[in-house]
Parts: sequence; C-alpha cells; structure tokens
Amino acid sequence: MLTVSDLRAGYSRGADVLKGLRFDVAKGESVALMGRNGMGKTTFVKALMGCLPHVRGSITFNGTEIRGLPPYRISNLGIAYVPQGREIFGDFTVAENLAMGVIGKPLKVDSVDFVFDYFPILAERRTQLAGTMSGGQQQQLAIARALVGRPQLLLLDEPSEGIQPSIVQDIAMTLKRIAAEEALTVIVVEQNIDLVFRLATSVRFIENGLIKTGVSIDEVRSDPTLVSRYLTV
Amino acid sequence: MSLIFLIGLDATGYVLALLLVCIGLVIIFGMMNVINLAHGELFLIGAYSVVYTQSLGAPFWLVLIVAFCLVAFIGLLIEQFIIRHIYHRFLDTILATWGISLALKQAIIVIFGPASQQVVAPFAEPVAFLGITYSSYRLFVMAMAIAVTAATFLVLYKTKLGLTARGVIANRQMASCLGVNTRRIDRLTFAFGSGLAGLAGAVMAPLMSVDPQMGVGFLIPAFLSILVGGAASPVGAIWGAAVIGTSNSVIAAVWTPVIAQILVFSLAIVVIRILPNGIAGWKKK
Repeated sequence: MLTVSDLRAGYSRGADVLKGLRFDVAKGESVALMGRNGMGKTTFVKALMGCLPHVRGSITFNGTEIRGLPPYRISNLGIAYVPQGREIFGDFTVAENLAMGVIGKPLKVDSVDFVFDYFPILAERRTQLAGTMSGGQQQQLAIARALVGRPQLLLLDEPSEGIQPSIVQDIAMTLKRIAAEEALTVIVVEQNIDLVFRLATSVRFIENGLIKTGVSIDEVRSDPTLVSRYLTV
Repeated sequence: MSLIFLIGLDATGYVLALLLVCIGLVIIFGMMNVINLAHGELFLIGAYSVVYTQSLGAPFWLVLIVAFCLVAFIGLLIEQFIIRHIYHRFLDTILATWGISLALKQAIIVIFGPASQQVVAPFAEPVAFLGITYSSYRLFVMAMAIAVTAATFLVLYKTKLGLTARGVIANRQMASCLGVNTRRIDRLTFAFGSGLAGLAGAVMAPLMSVDPQMGVGFLIPAFLSILVGGAASPVGAIWGAAVIGTSNSVIAAVWTPVIAQILVFSLAIVVIRILPNGIAGWKKK
C-alpha cells in the first residue's frame, strides 16, 4: 500500500534527519515505529504528509507517487494524520472540529456520526469548545477528526503523549477496533510499549534516520532486548 | 435636544462608515496577518469605479456590484502575484503593499487626473423624522454598513466556507493535512476582504470628494480602530469603530476636528497600552 525508498528529509537544506530510509506497509497492517527521541520518527510522518520543505526519494501510495504533493492532496488520496500534540482547533466546537475533517474532501460525506460509536464522549460534547476538554478527550477528537474523512491509511504520532495511563489503554483498544472495522492500515509512532502491544501487528525500529530492523509484534514480546537496544538511552 | 440627536446620528453615521472600511481590513490584517497599506487604494478604486460606471449611466445597485467584483479581482491579482510569496515575511508585506498603494494611486491619476471628481448620490431627498431632517443617502450608508457587517459575520460563522477560512487562519498546516486547499482559501479570503474595501469606497463616494488622496483619510482611523478593538476577530472591528468613531465625532462636534484627532490618538495609545489585544481580546479573558 505504501512504499518508501531512499527517503531523505529534514527541516533545513543540508541537514537531513532521514538518511535514505526504506519503509513498506501492506494493506491491513498496523505498524509501530519506535525509536529514541531525535531519531526521525516525527520527521518521517511529516515527510509522508507533505509537511516538510526538503524531501527527496520516493513515496508511493497505492501506486501513486505522493512525494512533493501538498498536504491537502495527500490527505484527499486517503491518508489521515493525527499529529503529535493533537493540533485540534481549540476555539471550535467538537462538531466544528469534525466538520473540518470532511470539509475539504472531494466526495461529500453524508454523516460523521459513525465516529460517536467509537468515541461516545464526543457525542455528548458536540457543542463544547474543544480547547476546554481534557487531553484524553482532545486526543479522541483528533482521532475522530482523522476518521471522518474515511481514510485508508492512518498516521498517528505519539497518541499516548500527555494522557493518563487508563485512558491510553482505552484509546489503544478503540484504535484496534477501528483498524479492524474500518479496514484501516495504521502507522503509529509511539514510545509507550503498552499501547504498541495492544495495537500493532509489527514493529520497525528507527535509528539515526534509518530503519534498523522490522519484526512482528510476537518477536518483540519474546525478545525484550530489542526494546532495550533501540529505546533505552 | 434635537441637536444632541443630530450629533448622535452623525456619530452613528461615522461609526458605521468606519465599520464599513474596517470589516475588509480586519479580514486581511487581523485574520491573514497582512498589513495591507494598499487598503486605502482599494477603497479609492471602489470610489472611482462609481465615477466611471455612473458616467456610462449604470444604475446604482449595479455600480455597487461592479465595485465589489472589480476590486475583489484586483485583490485576487495582488494576492496571487505578490502577497502569497511573502506571507511569512510580516514586515515585507508592509513594504510591498505600500508599493502597491503608490502604483495604484498613480494609475488612478494617470487615468482620471489629479483633480477631484463629483459623484452624484442616487437619491438625496432629506427625510424628516423625530423633529429633524436628515439626508436619506446618509441613512442608506448606515443601513449598508450594518448589512455588510451582518453578511460578513454570516459568511464567517454560519457557512462551510467561513468555517474553512477560520480553520485555515487558526492552524494552516493542520487544515491542509485534513484536505483543505489552503491556497484557494487564501485567495478567496484576500479577494473578499479587498472586495469589501471596494464596496465601502463605492458606497461612500457620493458623501466624499473623490480624489486620489481620499483613501488615506479612512485608512488611518480604520487601522487605529482595529488595533483598539482587537485584530484577532471581526468583533474587534465593531468595538474599535464604535470607540474611535464615537469619540472622534462627539469631540469634533463639541470642540474642533483637530482637538478630536489629538484626543482620539491619545485615547487609542492608552487603550492599546492597557489592552494589547484590544477590547475584544480583553472580553475573551
């Protein structure tokens, strides 16, 4: 579904964070991208989304080369993005935030109500200003806003960040259910091993802008040295 | 008693005229963060489009539509060829729009000459009510200002396009990542704000001497109003126009216009010093 080869990207010219990265995701996979801070995880998802100025190499999505396209066209091809820090529209209501998720889509979406099935709290708070909600609720809103556009591939950047552990578990379970029911392919950047175990089917470890190894989730479970090698400082 | 009523009506008229100019400016300055020094010239082109279309014998309602569309189109060109390259260079937008303002003003002088032009109001019969008589056209300008402001608010807060525009303004990158073509929204917003300046110029033309300097007279109090009212939202334009317009016309009626200018500028400095985000910004907290 997604094939990335020789991806080089960074925030300023001549200072690449990603140094020729290769990455493949098959339809229906839930891949966790793990690695220490500063290794290029967020840079990678931003490069996929078209949010970086200096990106070279190739990114194909369903056979279409998407490198160099502006973010809105990548979004409209079926990739949805839940960024680090959620980036919800704080001055907008929950309903308006969800509307932003479909407003630019070429196909008219009849209803966004199906996401309330996954996140019932949002249905209760439709008219509340998103900025006044708790971190966990905002994260649910950010995920729901990504889903309403009916994407095929969902990119999640640190969905557990700043959220209390019990809510993280709930969100992980809900994401697992969404991936199955909506036939979604998921790439999740995450440091929280608990969330990764609940959601992912495989794990890729990133180090210094390159994918070092890719393994199934069962191998990660049976070999704790993998996590310590790529995650502990 | 009727004198006070007359002063009140004049003040209201000035406030609403100021609001008419501010509402386009607040969209471009407050929401898109571009200090558009050419706003006065867009106003000017709106007024001159009345001079031209009236000489062709077009009805006044058509003149207004032409003024809006023509100036919106000019705004579109300015955005497409100049502003879009310098959105992230705030200070350069001042320099660039100042250049545009000079070019537009000179173009007007080349076409129409430096002398002032006379624009005839479509109707001017005085109407008598509550013991005074008042120009019907002035009442029409007030009604237009209210209608244009209301329409702008409806577009911004009750339509999908308005929601999209506010989303792009609040978080450009995220809006783009959700599938919004932000370039299209930038163009539309800038053209809409420009068109409103043109419409304001056209509506105000019969009340003013239409000459190449007329834009400046409204630009300064309009910027002042937005700073005092709060640039972040269109509500600020209403607050600012009310405060600046009322104090200016009341003080001018009691003393002289010169004292009014001095006092209003001093008042504005005090308000901005105490409330850096303007009156609307303070209300929000």
